[in-house]
Amino acid sequence: MSMRLPKTVLHNRSANPNFRQSFWGFAWRTIVKKPGRLIGFAIIVLFALMGIFGPYLYPAQLPINPNAIYAPISWQYPLGTDFEGTSNLALVVTGARYVLFAAAMGAVFTVVFGTILGLCAGYFIGLTDSVIMRITDFILTIPSFPLLVVLSTVWNFGQPVAMGFVLGITGWGGLARAVRSQTMSLRERGFIEAARGLGLSPLYILFREILPNVGSYIAMNLLLAVTGSIYAEVGLFFLGVVPFQVNNWGVMLNLAVFSAGAMSSPQALPYLLSPMLAILILTLGIVLFLDALDEMFNPRLREV
Amino acid sequence: MKTVMARLAKRLVAGVIMILVVASFTFLLVRLMPGNPVEAKYQSLLLNGLTPVQAMDEVRVMYGFIPHQSLWIQYLHYLGQILHLNLGQSISYEGTPVMRIILGAAPWTIILVLTGTVASFIVGILAGVIAAIRRNSPVGSAITISGSVLHGIPLFVMALFLAYVFTTIWAVLPFGAPYNAALTPGFNGPFISSLARHALLPVFTYALASYGGWLLTMKSSVISVLGDDFILASEVRGLKTSTRVGYIAHNAILPLFTILALSLGFMFGGSLFIEDIFDYPGLGNLLVNAINNRDYPLMSGAFLLITVAVIASNIITDFLYSVVDPRIRR
Repeated sequence: MSMRLPKTVLHNRSANPNFRQSFWGFAWRTIVKKPGRLIGFAIIVLFALMGIFGPYLYPAQLPINPNAIYAPISWQYPLGTDFEGTSNLALVVTGARYVLFAAAMGAVFTVVFGTILGLCAGYFIGLTDSVIMRITDFILTIPSFPLLVVLSTVWNFGQPVAMGFVLGITGWGGLARAVRSQTMSLRERGFIEAARGLGLSPLYILFREILPNVGSYIAMNLLLAVTGSIYAEVGLFFLGVVPFQVNNWGVMLNLAVFSAGAMSSPQALPYLLSPMLAILILTLGIVLFLDALDEMFNPRLREV
Repeated sequence: MKTVMARLAKRLVAGVIMILVVASFTFLLVRLMPGNPVEAKYQSLLLNGLTPVQAMDEVRVMYGFIPHQSLWIQYLHYLGQILHLNLGQSISYEGTPVMRIILGAAPWTIILVLTGTVASFIVGILAGVIAAIRRNSPVGSAITISGSVLHGIPLFVMALFLAYVFTTIWAVLPFGAPYNAALTPGFNGPFISSLARHALLPVFTYALASYGGWLLTMKSSVISVLGDDFILASEVRGLKTSTRVGYIAHNAILPLFTILALSLGFMFGGSLFIEDIFDYPGLGNLLVNAINNRDYPLMSGAFLLITVAVIASNIITDFLYSVVDPRIRR
């Protein structure tokens, strides 16, 4: 891939008509093509920045204000305050890091497990395939969310990587099955047969010949896995089965519903709505961005 | 019919193996848990003045195995107990058998999940057919957008929203408890209507949460069937539109049965949220409470029963699929 392109090429892009070589430039042009994609991209970038820099914007111990408990929405507290008078906006921004990092890790693990197992099952048909598919069926059948809840009793979910790993372990089934069926149809195609005839190693064929052809599907699944991971982890914290170690959106939801009684007292409602709003806006951004990703990674769409 | 039966038998064997694996998993989970709850219980019973033999018996009844035996013997003992449908005793419910508690809770979950799934399946499929056939009209795109939006909202956000709207702002529907406690349970009018009123909101949440998925899948399935030759042939023959839509729907619905099996797992998983938010006494609520109370025998039992329910419904959907799709019977 041409990611490590010399700087001069990027610099001279107006002068260079053959600009298609640069992946990033191409990606950017794909995004700006439609306003919906741009909005989606902006939302994702905003949330990513929030996850990276959010905790630095506020003091480590968020200020509490006993005079502003459940304060309504105002300039000082754009999203109201919680049961201690802490700004909900600050809570959402500082809580983003855990949620987003864990979701990103979950998506990466899901995609890595699903892709590798799916490619192997589809390419080395026979025994490998049937063993992998047995395991996949098993993973797909076991209700994954209850499994996560049960695992929370032994697994320490305090670290985002640990959370992401478990989300990946329980979530790769669907992707593996889809990648397998695509690989199976690709392996009969001429260019793969040619590669086999040239005596290229199976690893080369799998990762350099077949993988780019399922790339767009995998990239879209990466983003979908991010939303899935966010729902699952926020859900775990919301149910309160995972011990609270750091502030995050799920903890906010849990405290709002089960401690603050936001369901029956309207003044606590902003506390409940702010993490929900964050989740919904991020989901919207990801859904809007999906089709740009399809075009970016689908080699057939790119030629046009 | 013979092949259908062979297929069914194969699925049954696979299901039993899967249940065994899940049972082994919960056994290992409780046994290898940090702080070893079994050993801790044994020690606390000793401190309460029981003799080692009495304490051992107590622990064995509770968890189904004895702490000082080797792991392998414990495991066999545990599996033996499960084969006798004995899942040990609950800790938080003071010595009630786990089996009795989870069997008491299971019907509520199963009723909610099944009603919600069937309702969303029927509505989603009808809407999907309309969205596909009218895909160039405003009605069609409105239906599609409704599907995408509902598909994107997380289950707990939906449940909280509905609970807030219908039990707080506009309190028309009851909250918590599966029926009005003042009524005597039985086959009488007021009891059944109270049951239905209490179930309405959770069922509606289940249905809304999965409606979008059915709609979108059915729509794309119908569109792919529309291009088939036999549709063109029936058009050329001048068949009535309703007959043709029937043909299309029948062919397009087949792939959805495989997804039905997967979605049941999702629905049973969703019961954790829905029952927790609506305070409905089903398996999901039981599982969450068991974990919060560190009631491990009950936790294992509830998880095992949820898995069994999912596996059983998978086998039933697979059987239905082979009945509906004539190609499999051959």
